[in-house]
Amino acid sequence: MNAIIDQDDNQSPEYAIHTRNLNLWYGTFQALFDVDLSIRNGMITSLIGPSGCGKSTFLRSVNRINERLGYVRIEGDINVLDNNIYDPAVELVQVRKQIGMVFQRPNPLPISIRDNILFGHRLHNKGSKADPDEIVESALKQVLLWEKVKDRLNHKGTELSLEEQQKLCIARLLPVKPSVLLMDEPCSALDPKGTAAVEELIWELRGEYTILIVTHNMAQARRASEECIFMLMGRVIEHQATEDLFVTPEQKETADYIEGRYG
Amino acid sequence: MFAESDLNARNKRVQGLFRMLFLMMTILLIVPVAIILFTLVSKGGSVISIDFLFTNPTDGMTAGGIFPALLGTVWIVAVALLASVPLGVAAAIYLNEYAGDNWFTRLIQLAIINLAGVPSIVHALFGVGAFVIFFGFGTSILAASLTLAIMTLPIVIVSTRESLRAVPQAFREACWNMGATRWQTIRRIVLPNAISGILTGVILEVSRTAGETAPIMFTGAAFFLPFLPQGVFDQTMAMSLHLFVVATQVPGVPEELPFGVALVLIAMVLIMNSISIAFRMYLRGKKKW
Repeated sequence: MNAIIDQDDNQSPEYAIHTRNLNLWYGTFQALFDVDLSIRNGMITSLIGPSGCGKSTFLRSVNRINERLGYVRIEGDINVLDNNIYDPAVELVQVRKQIGMVFQRPNPLPISIRDNILFGHRLHNKGSKADPDEIVESALKQVLLWEKVKDRLNHKGTELSLEEQQKLCIARLLPVKPSVLLMDEPCSALDPKGTAAVEELIWELRGEYTILIVTHNMAQARRASEECIFMLMGRVIEHQATEDLFVTPEQKETADYIEGRYG
Repeated sequence: MFAESDLNARNKRVQGLFRMLFLMMTILLIVPVAIILFTLVSKGGSVISIDFLFTNPTDGMTAGGIFPALLGTVWIVAVALLASVPLGVAAAIYLNEYAGDNWFTRLIQLAIINLAGVPSIVHALFGVGAFVIFFGFGTSILAASLTLAIMTLPIVIVSTRESLRAVPQAFREACWNMGATRWQTIRRIVLPNAISGILTGVILEVSRTAGETAPIMFTGAAFFLPFLPQGVFDQTMAMSLHLFVVATQVPGVPEELPFGVALVLIAMVLIMNSISIAFRMYLRGKKKW
């Protein structure tokens, strides 16, 4: 396997993300109610549900970017690879290193494609002897972008098409070897062709990373995830293998949602 | 059915009228600038020569060149920039990138706005009290430059803040989410993208600094000096004050001399502005988002 994307082998618990009694408030508005989730290591898990169901909020509390808002209060535990990330001893920079995030709107930095890929690497692996050219090539190959951009690595990341930008945003997370990739509707700014390409890429990455993906698009969850979580009004309604959830949902709310009765 | 109605015709006339009005106002704006430049060139152009730029004034300042004043202005502007640019940029970075929105930062904002509104003669008196007397710099380039630096600080701070604010928040978020600290984000992403805007503020500041008279006449600029400044603790002549002196204070000055001095002063500012604007356009051309 490629050295760049090797994960830490010394710990591979069954669950990458494990929450207990997670409650979250924005000011006085409670957005999450007693969320107990166990998300399997090395799998693609999708979060679905109607707008405002708390799926993005949940995603954003896993790498602690919610707290930047200032008026967010959290009770309960979120464990990532058996470490409580809200422990006072936790260093936020390490959280961000271990847990990469991909946003709805591709947000490459206004620097070269090469520097985009090396940005995180340079932050976290100062003085590393690894060959930067190899890192760039390997990361871009992982996201199936290498052939397209290998001759213009010095062009700005912001000059690429949206699909390519989103792939670049995924690629730049890989050199720091994160354990978890969070994706907040990663395809919703892309056209169908771009969506297919990025979905294909996400599917390629399964096994090597634990991927948690929020999507509005039920068909996408069905196509591109192995487990699926359905949320409604801040609560987890159902968590099953994707095919089971879509074929034989256990809860009436889930069945109604996937049949399009609301949402 | 689609023919012009009376109302359409009337609206068109009114629209044309206002268009003309706004155009006239814009032209009116350019007229004084054109007249000033034309007058200066036609009346003062004849005295401009290499000798005029690089020799001392002679015959009680009624003849000779302007070299000490020219050099003095360069000194004063350079020292003022050295003081105000780092201070102003640092303050702007703090206010925009670190400080939260609370009563303290709002107080600072208010102070900056008020500082910009203080008349230059008040700054001059402050400079005398603070730098000449209290810090004991005497009447010197240092005292004059620091006075100007304080006066122009709001320009630097406000324009730097504006250009920092123009860098999309998404870039900062992207950096933070990869584990970059605020400083790493500022140094690698925010500053490189704000530099052209920051430069604009510095251009404005240069023009303002080179032209000011009141703040330097009590703090470091002299009517006439037979020697050139050797360091920041010397007094110096300066273009703006020299213009005032030859135009109003010295009898028997030939008419074209003050125009020549004014022409050189305005040319200095215009040349510096053009260089900076060209540089800014070059940097902006490289920016794509």
